[in-house]
Amino acid sequence: MEYQNKQPPEGINTSKQHPFKEFSTLLIAALALVFIATLVLGVGGGWLAGKLPISAENKIAALYDITQHTDTAEHPKLAKYLQSLADKISKAQNLPPDMHITAHYMNSPTVNAFATLGGNLFIYRGLLERLPNENTLVTLLGHEIAHVKYRHPIKSLGRGVLVGIAMSTGSANAQILGDAGLLTVLKFSRDMEKQADKEAMQTLQTLYGHIDGGAKLFKIFHEMRDSMDADEPAELFSTHPLDQDRIDSFTQTAKQKGWSETGNLTPLPDFFEKAFE
Amino acid sequence: MEQLIATLVFVTLGFFFGRRAEKKHYTSLIEREEKLNALPVIASRIPPYDAPYEQSLVSGSVVIANDYFKAFVAGLRNLFGGKVRSYETLLDRARREAVLRMKVQAKKQGADYVFNVKFETSNISGQYSKKLPIVEVHAYGTALKKIA
Repeated sequence: MEYQNKQPPEGINTSKQHPFKEFSTLLIAALALVFIATLVLGVGGGWLAGKLPISAENKIAALYDITQHTDTAEHPKLAKYLQSLADKISKAQNLPPDMHITAHYMNSPTVNAFATLGGNLFIYRGLLERLPNENTLVTLLGHEIAHVKYRHPIKSLGRGVLVGIAMSTGSANAQILGDAGLLTVLKFSRDMEKQADKEAMQTLQTLYGHIDGGAKLFKIFHEMRDSMDADEPAELFSTHPLDQDRIDSFTQTAKQKGWSETGNLTPLPDFFEKAFE
Repeated sequence: MEQLIATLVFVTLGFFFGRRAEKKHYTSLIEREEKLNALPVIASRIPPYDAPYEQSLVSGSVVIANDYFKAFVAGLRNLFGGKVRSYETLLDRARREAVLRMKVQAKKQGADYVFNVKFETSNISGQYSKKLPIVEVHAYGTALKKIA
């Protein structure tokens, strides 16, 4: 009789479990881990960055030569006007003495304006063209200056940097600062936007004694989205509060604080519209 | 985004093709093992001395490539630790295939036993080892053929 080896049973050195089960369990756990780590690092980074002295923030901002990206020098009259408004608003918002606002004009059709590190504001022609009066312009500037006042740019940079460091594990160099980007639009959270809106309303009331013209800013944004046929993102996924909510919040705040919703609107200076030609 | 889609495509392809290949391989492994099981393969270093034997080295080696699905699961496993089940089957298949190839060689020589069987496992993916490991398993032993 021929010798016969016994065939060993299967599944001792290997697992019978369907590989997809391991895959899905691990994937869910990994995503949860990344989510929690990002949250903790993000909140922690934002909190830490908020503790940075303003002078340190200005130093970080000075690493970049911002003026070469702007069109401020070509439009001195307009730039001067924007700067004078910014100074006026800074005073009204009681900015700390070492916090300086610099308004930069961008000759581009983009409908946008944003605040970034070191108190630098960027205002695009596309948005300025659509503003009907000074009150709305002050709302815009007041909103962006409020971001600087509450140190939102450095806080959101802090979030990005800490998360970035964690993700690149170890290569914590200046590249990360570059990636987070000074000139890119820093994403502010919804709470930050609401805080800035509130401050902008307060500024309007302080400077003009009424908040008329303020809600118009968000109507402009809304109309622009309508004309571009772009749907607003659902509130859950958006960092900005919904346009309608922001418009309504002007009425609500006016009622709460007993402010007037109507008043004399200050026209924009004559050279304003010509400046865009 | 493109990277994400590419990863997803590779992982899906890896899952389906890898799984199909693995199933086919296991079926063939079991079939061939049953055919060759009359040849004893023994890890012992002490050969039988009931009779004079002709000795020769026999070896079987196999190179198996990983797929993206397995690599992806193993990568995730790195985060948490634990059994890397996706690689267990890969190496199990490689070892068994190597032994089978060794046995085929021994059988061709008309060997009665293969003694002192050992395994070597090596990663041959070189500098790309971080991406997709390619594994070589080498089984070798001493084939003994009774001198009539």
